[in-house]
Amino acid sequence: MDPATWELIVRSIGPLLLGAVVGTIPLTVVSFAVGLVLALLVALARLSSVAVLRWLATAYVSIIRGTPLLVQLFIIFYALPMLGVVIDPFPSAVIAFSLNVGGYAAETIRGSILAVPRGQWEAATTIGMGYTLTLRRVVLPQALRVAVPPLSNTFISLVKDTSLASTVMVTELLRRAQEIAAPSYQFLALYSLAAVIYWVLCSGLSWGQQRLEQHLGRYVTV
Amino acid sequence: MKTPRILPAIAGLLVACLSLSACAGGGSAAPAASSSASGSTALTDLQKSGVLKVGTEGTYAPFTFHDQTTNQLTGYDIEVITAVAGKLGVKPQFSETKWDAIFAGLEAKRYDLVANEVSINDDRKAKYDLTATYSVSYPVVIVKADNTAITSIGSLKGHTAAQTATSNWGTFATDNGATLKPVDGFTEAVAAVKDGRVDLTVNDNLAALEYFTTTKDTSVKTAVEVPDQKVLQAFALRKDSGLVEPINQALSDLAADGTLAKIGEKYFGKDISH
Repeated sequence: MDPATWELIVRSIGPLLLGAVVGTIPLTVVSFAVGLVLALLVALARLSSVAVLRWLATAYVSIIRGTPLLVQLFIIFYALPMLGVVIDPFPSAVIAFSLNVGGYAAETIRGSILAVPRGQWEAATTIGMGYTLTLRRVVLPQALRVAVPPLSNTFISLVKDTSLASTVMVTELLRRAQEIAAPSYQFLALYSLAAVIYWVLCSGLSWGQQRLEQHLGRYVTV
Repeated sequence: MKTPRILPAIAGLLVACLSLSACAGGGSAAPAASSSASGSTALTDLQKSGVLKVGTEGTYAPFTFHDQTTNQLTGYDIEVITAVAGKLGVKPQFSETKWDAIFAGLEAKRYDLVANEVSINDDRKAKYDLTATYSVSYPVVIVKADNTAITSIGSLKGHTAAQTATSNWGTFATDNGATLKPVDGFTEAVAAVKDGRVDLTVNDNLAALEYFTTTKDTSVKTAVEVPDQKVLQAFALRKDSGLVEPINQALSDLAADGTLAKIGEKYFGKDISH
């Protein structure tokens, strides 16, 4: 590698990290938080005894999992304005990613709730707990332990999926790399640097996942 | 699970979406007010908002790109539209988007105007408001250095060209018999030629000049130049924007006071505005 390219890489670390800090990371965190709330509601709807709720939730999960994320993003950003709904780039991306996380994580949460033995529900009901209280104090804490690995997976996928936001005017890590690659024509250097930064971010998250699993497993007797 | 029951639901949703979009497509253009009346109010409205929203690629040197050291958006088109905005008494605000989505963004009212070397042609004249010309260039064909097959516009036939799907250069390539391979932008197009994925790319002589000056690349070359096929570039706005006259006035003022020539000198060593 010639010194000029090397110098460009070193000079680009700052702008790319800035792109991660103002774009990639907030996009990921906000979308995941919103998506998780949505996923919990959808999971409960899927387990509900009300047929209409079950049915709506099933349809939603099916559409989200059955269509490409990029298409969902384009519909929200480029197609909705034709119906008079113009949403700014960043919120558009947040909506698309939240809906996407909602669809995938709903299945994770549903499975995790089902993994909590039936007897736990019955025991809670016996001592007079209602549905909400049972969920909050008995079932969800146990389901959470089961859900952490697959939810971490979703979270780590989301970090990388946010690169799609570069196609709808959101300046995040990848877009920054493109901005620097265009006038310098140094694709290999810039895209590799972007890849390294994504990898470092995701490795950090994987480490966090391990710590979280240890923490949540502290009362579990094997 | 009794899955079959969700199929009618999805079908219903699809039908709903399709009918909605069909309705939306039906009422496309708003009725135009008389141009002079809408013109004065459009400019007043713009000045009241204080901001001219501009759509641009930000990755097409030397017209619209990010400065290597400051990371600021700059370039010939950026400076010209900034000067125009100044004449109108407003500040420009840039939205960066890929070329193939740039007109979608304009129609979706994400910005008021496109400043990105939009070449004037009949299709665009019919669909958009185009201002006066602010840059003039001509097509060149870039091929690999060892390519001897392509020597004239006539020899594009049967070769593959890397172009953005919706640009006039893409149309130019296909009109002359080349097969189009879609790419994101000019830099990707040159990379595709360099990597041997396609035979050629057609672009602006000025963009090509910038590429060869910046990279000193000898693995590709300009095989064909067509200086007599002048291409004129203008700013594009939505139809009946009412802003064409004030912008044209600003452009002619900037030509008269030497600003356009000065910006041209800075990027190309010459005035390219006429």
